[in-house]
Amino acid sequence: MSGDEGIEIYEEGEEIMDVSNEAEAKTEFEKGKGDENVLQFLDSLDEYLTLMDSVNSKLREGWFDLASARHSMGTLRINSTLLDLKYHPAASTLQVTEQEVPRFALSKWASKGGSGKEKHFSTDADSEMGSPRSPQLRHRGVFEEKSSAKDETVLAADEEIKKERAKSLSVFGGLVSPKLRGAQLSFETALETLVEIANMRSSMLSAFEGITKK
Amino acid sequence: MYGFEALTFNIHGGYLEAIVRGHRAGLLTTADYNNLCQCENLDDIKMHLSATKYGSYLQNEPSPLHTTTIVEKCTLKLVDDYKHMLCQATEPMSTFLEYIRYGHMIDNVVLIVTGTLHERDVQELIEKCHPLGMFDSIATLAVAQNMRELYRLVLVDTPLAPYFSECLTSEDLDDMNIEIMRNTLYKAYLEDFYKFCQKLGGATSEIMSDLLAFEADRRAVNITINSIGTELTREDRKKLYSNFGLLYPYGHEELAICEDIDQVRGVMEKYPPYQAIFSKMSYGESQMLDKAFYEEEVRRLCLAFEQQFHYAVFFAYMRLREQEIRNLMWISECVAQNQKSRIHDSVVYMF
Repeated sequence: MSGDEGIEIYEEGEEIMDVSNEAEAKTEFEKGKGDENVLQFLDSLDEYLTLMDSVNSKLREGWFDLASARHSMGTLRINSTLLDLKYHPAASTLQVTEQEVPRFALSKWASKGGSGKEKHFSTDADSEMGSPRSPQLRHRGVFEEKSSAKDETVLAADEEIKKERAKSLSVFGGLVSPKLRGAQLSFETALETLVEIANMRSSMLSAFEGITKK
Repeated sequence: MYGFEALTFNIHGGYLEAIVRGHRAGLLTTADYNNLCQCENLDDIKMHLSATKYGSYLQNEPSPLHTTTIVEKCTLKLVDDYKHMLCQATEPMSTFLEYIRYGHMIDNVVLIVTGTLHERDVQELIEKCHPLGMFDSIATLAVAQNMRELYRLVLVDTPLAPYFSECLTSEDLDDMNIEIMRNTLYKAYLEDFYKFCQKLGGATSEIMSDLLAFEADRRAVNITINSIGTELTREDRKKLYSNFGLLYPYGHEELAICEDIDQVRGVMEKYPPYQAIFSKMSYGESQMLDKAFYEEEVRRLCLAFEQQFHYAVFFAYMRLREQEIRNLMWISECVAQNQKSRIHDSVVYMF
């Protein structure tokens, strides 16, 4: 009888040990997850601060180039009274994907008139075409043809973008100074950076939530 | 006959030449610009300008100042000087002074037409117009749908009417057509002004021919650079170049086919006066080209004052004042944007 009791106690002890081992493993796992969240938060914060510096610098450059263009072309040619008040579609749009972590994607120079082609320039890295993560089989010869076809598509897309850029600058006249085009590029880059900042903030907030969750 | 203006010029032009030389002495010096470049904000600039001829125009402006306010008030000084000279002038000096306004009238016409195309309020556009380019029926420009109507309804009774002969089409006004109209009008104006100065003869003809030829050449270069990568064809580009100047006609032939700034440099370096300008820039760079052209223009304008008894001093004074206002605008923008290290990128010193 006492042997049976001893076995029972032993088995109970084993169960208790198993339970405590499980609890320990779970604690270790959660601790690891917590460290991962902290690292992710700090990485996001670092990148966020870098992006903020970058956007400030780009905006500063853009405003300066605009002042240079006004100096070159004259105040009558570059002023706010020339901006178009007619209804027209937006040159760029922002998509927000409602997921666990909200993501923002910018579609630049999407022309609804003209050729009707849309050019998507998402700042979300996973959706980039030709990402190294996407599996592609390489075939000699076929790959080269595909590559030249792809080059032609890229060239055509570049031409469309140039036209869209010129169209948006045409409010200031058909022949504008290269400084005004430079200002446009600076503001365009600043817009892309702002979307990256929004995505980074989203990651940061998600990581912070992970850290503070109990 | 050239050389005998000294006998008769002062009868009708002596007083005004003395006035304009007095105004010229009131232009800002390098010391003034050095003080302005040290300013921390726009109120400091206003304080430094209070000791200059612009003082009375800025003194009642409340803080915080804006760069456009400084430009507007300084332009009023230019307009007052011009109106005083115009009302005292007799023929042919009065016609000469009127010609100085026509460039601003063209800019105002284009501003109103472009703004109307963009559905802006006419009153708002008129407030932005240059005061030297105002005329009575300017608000009526808003009703025109194409260039033919523009001419028929409004411009036929203005001094710009003769310049419209090459622009009269029934095509609707869009951004590129308006740009072509602007440059075609300005080309016709420059050529007309050039012919008028040639008819005047003497020192006026000699000095103004040089200044207007430089203006025509500079416009040709700017049109070329600004049209690179646009839908403007080579033939259309060539049509916008004036039919006089150092670059006419062979330089224009070469400029018309340029596709980048280095090709433009290659064309311009064949002409010694412009070789010096382009030698200041490195290859592929166009940022400093404006400043280089302005510096050359200022040099030529200052030389106009070295000779007496001609009308070119009036043209030179107006242009120097406009350059001064550009300098003040630039300094104000750099101070407002906290970019004082870049002030010397575009300030052109005169004396």
